[in-house]
Amino acid sequence: MKSIIKRKNSILSYRNIFYLLALITLTLSPIFSQSSFYSDMVFTVFLFAGMSAAWNLVGGFTGQISLGHTVFFGVGAYTSTLLYLHFGWSPWINLIGGGLVATIFGVILGYPCFKLKSHFFALTSIAFGQIMYFISLFWRELTNGANGLLISFNPGFSNIIFDSKIPYAYLALSFMLITLFVSYLIRKSKFGFYLIAIKEDQDAAESVGVNSSQYKLYIFMVSTFFTGIGGVLYARYIMYIDPASVFNVALSIQLGVISILGGLGMVLGPLFGAIIIIPLEILLRGWFGQTFAGLNYVIYGALLIIMIRKAPQGIVGWLKEKYQPYFESLLRVSNTQKLYDDIKIKEFVLINKYGKKGDVLLEVNKINKRFGGLRAVKDVSFYIKQGEIVGLIGPNGAGKTTLFNVITGFYQPESGIIKFMDKKITGLRPPYKVCDRSIARTFQLVKSFNQITVLENVMVGAFHKINSYTIAEQFAKKIIRFVGLEKSTYLLAKNLTLCDKKRVELARALATKPRLLLLDEIMSGLNPTELNEFTILLRKISNQGITLFIIEHVMKPVMTLSDRIIVLNYGEKIAEGSPKEVSENEKVIKAYLGEVKKFA
Amino acid sequence: MEIIILQLAVNGILLGGLYALISIGLTLIFGIIDVVNFAHGEFLMLSMYFCYWMWALFGVIPYLSLLLSIPIFFFIGRIVQKLLIWPIIEKPMLNQIFTTLGLSLILMNGALLFWKANSRAIRMPGLAQSAKILNLRFSYPRLIAFIIALTIIALLFTFLKKTRMGRAIRALAQDRRASMLVGINVDYHYQIAFGIGLACTAAAGALLIPIYNVSPTTGQLFCLIAFVIVVMGGFGYLQGSLIAGIIIGLVESYSGFFLSIHLKEAVYFMIFVLVLLIKPSGIMGGKER
Repeated sequence: MKSIIKRKNSILSYRNIFYLLALITLTLSPIFSQSSFYSDMVFTVFLFAGMSAAWNLVGGFTGQISLGHTVFFGVGAYTSTLLYLHFGWSPWINLIGGGLVATIFGVILGYPCFKLKSHFFALTSIAFGQIMYFISLFWRELTNGANGLLISFNPGFSNIIFDSKIPYAYLALSFMLITLFVSYLIRKSKFGFYLIAIKEDQDAAESVGVNSSQYKLYIFMVSTFFTGIGGVLYARYIMYIDPASVFNVALSIQLGVISILGGLGMVLGPLFGAIIIIPLEILLRGWFGQTFAGLNYVIYGALLIIMIRKAPQGIVGWLKEKYQPYFESLLRVSNTQKLYDDIKIKEFVLINKYGKKGDVLLEVNKINKRFGGLRAVKDVSFYIKQGEIVGLIGPNGAGKTTLFNVITGFYQPESGIIKFMDKKITGLRPPYKVCDRSIARTFQLVKSFNQITVLENVMVGAFHKINSYTIAEQFAKKIIRFVGLEKSTYLLAKNLTLCDKKRVELARALATKPRLLLLDEIMSGLNPTELNEFTILLRKISNQGITLFIIEHVMKPVMTLSDRIIVLNYGEKIAEGSPKEVSENEKVIKAYLGEVKKFA
Repeated sequence: MEIIILQLAVNGILLGGLYALISIGLTLIFGIIDVVNFAHGEFLMLSMYFCYWMWALFGVIPYLSLLLSIPIFFFIGRIVQKLLIWPIIEKPMLNQIFTTLGLSLILMNGALLFWKANSRAIRMPGLAQSAKILNLRFSYPRLIAFIIALTIIALLFTFLKKTRMGRAIRALAQDRRASMLVGINVDYHYQIAFGIGLACTAAAGALLIPIYNVSPTTGQLFCLIAFVIVVMGGFGYLQGSLIAGIIIGLVESYSGFFLSIHLKEAVYFMIFVLVLLIKPSGIMGGKER
């Protein structure tokens, strides 16, 4: 078994041999045949694979469905052609120039949209595409309107105009390889992890320090840049552009379809998708194009609907599903001890101590939060000292989670001041800014990133303070061992039990190296054994020097763990003190059990 | 000059009523089923073709065809919901978006296949005139369209507010699971909602065909307008769509006169971006449905 694992990691692994063969095949593919029909197809496959890879960065990795990529394609095509025709700029410069101008358009679209839910993005982007079509159609002075722009045939390397189609195919191949390589680099970096976290659960991503609107905009800029370059290549190849061909919603849809068929969010997905879709489409158009205009798209649309229904994971996803269990079993066989051998550093320090034990860490002063007429939190004040474990209890609807959300930047309070380490954090939004101040949290309804492994989940948290992939990985593994999940390191989070998902969430929060950890009902729904384990775990975390603030309904652990307890009822603080004091407080008993009626 | 300003306002409001009807169908489907129907414009286009052929083949005027097209499109809506939308209702948004996009491709190109790219129009001589009230012209087809559109919207609001089924549908919009728990048949009511959404396009198509030409790509343009209105009015808010529809009608009317008729799409988009920047939840966003 060990030898197989070794082979997997060595340069001559099956996987690498496969990649090498694939690369050789791709490199030789443009010269298999001299027919111009074939070269045309090869060029189109590579061009669309590259642009789909760019689309996949946004739609697949980040889960933001763009239906407006035709804008960036068209802008790239028009920019390069206009610069070439009017100023005689070399298309080689325009490759970058077209990409950059497309990026500017990307920022115009992305900046307002990425603050919103993704429905808006899909709608806005499709509208953007249509509007660009109309603008290019009617701004005749610039675009020559419906007549389009013609590039005269003037072959030469510096013009990117060739006699044969083969150089174009190689140009498109390089474009595709670069885009795929960039996708790969992003997927294996902090950036890529953050994108996937945003796709899986934006709130959870924010809570571990991901500035979601910023990262969405960044990836959109990368994506639009490459799409713009695709547009430049197209313009050089066809040598004629008009609004109908470059600002075409069908093109945006096509980029998405290729990614979906190939495997959404998979680096190689777009290549597989393009190899199937493009020839199919060219053939359909060839068969039906003349006599039955439109029939090819009818078939295309029908295939799209069927594919989405029957095989939403795509080709690469399907391959992975089939062969992943095999790799996983290999990893599971090698016992976990071995897996963790690579951890060299013995010392396991989560935080650098701040101040003395007993200094005030969090100070909440007269916080108010209302929803319409409902005052969810009323004039609540309290403090939490360094190193304490403070419990927050109260009946359902007492405002506990609202208070957490106010502290962690999910809600803006109407009035009041929150200070953390003597600095004001009131209304610090969005939530990632609160995480930056070393406050982490978990959620009442578990928000683990379900489609990625436990290790990757925790790495998202680890990337908050660590930029290097390997160090983040090692640190994450340490945390995973700390919370007792090492057996599940390489499992997808969706396959875990509720208890283990909660551990993942806890580990992810811990990996951000917080000073203060807010846990929202982390023990609800656990069985007695699990409760004991969690009680011990929380004690261990506290011993690391992390201050804990826990909402809990399960009384036994919260009473044994807490140094102090705060009780909320109808948004008001009704009691505060040691567990014993609180449990004997009349107001608290009344809130939980109702009024005791006295009979004379 | 004042009379022109007023006349433009009249034209804009009359047009806005129609836009509101189209958008309300879209926002209803979104608000209740939580699916963006990217094929909405294509259904509008089909309904325009339906009325065109009723007129061209049998001489039936669109305002009568409407009585037939509404139930037909309602029924088509139920089928689409049952066969295409229901199976993916719990799936990620991407699946829903690409399913309705696929449907849109099929319908648009199906129309191209059967009826070619020619643009077709109904010109009824009796309707070319306009009523003159207080020196303002009210073109008959636009006036009729406005009145019928507002009547349908009023009926729809009454249905949703007053009837048992309307209340069930509104409950579904609030929370699917909770509605199931109190015994609302989700599948059935979703079909009704989608049916109503398409019935709105059927009515709008019949009212549009005396004013606009139809071709297979007509749907795209109106879909764009509907998207802008729906976002502007607040996703899923019917009253918002009504107000935003009238606003967009006015904008189109004034920008067509003072700028250029060709720039209206650019103006839409400018407004669109402004709304997204200033109040992304739309006019009605944050209020009760």
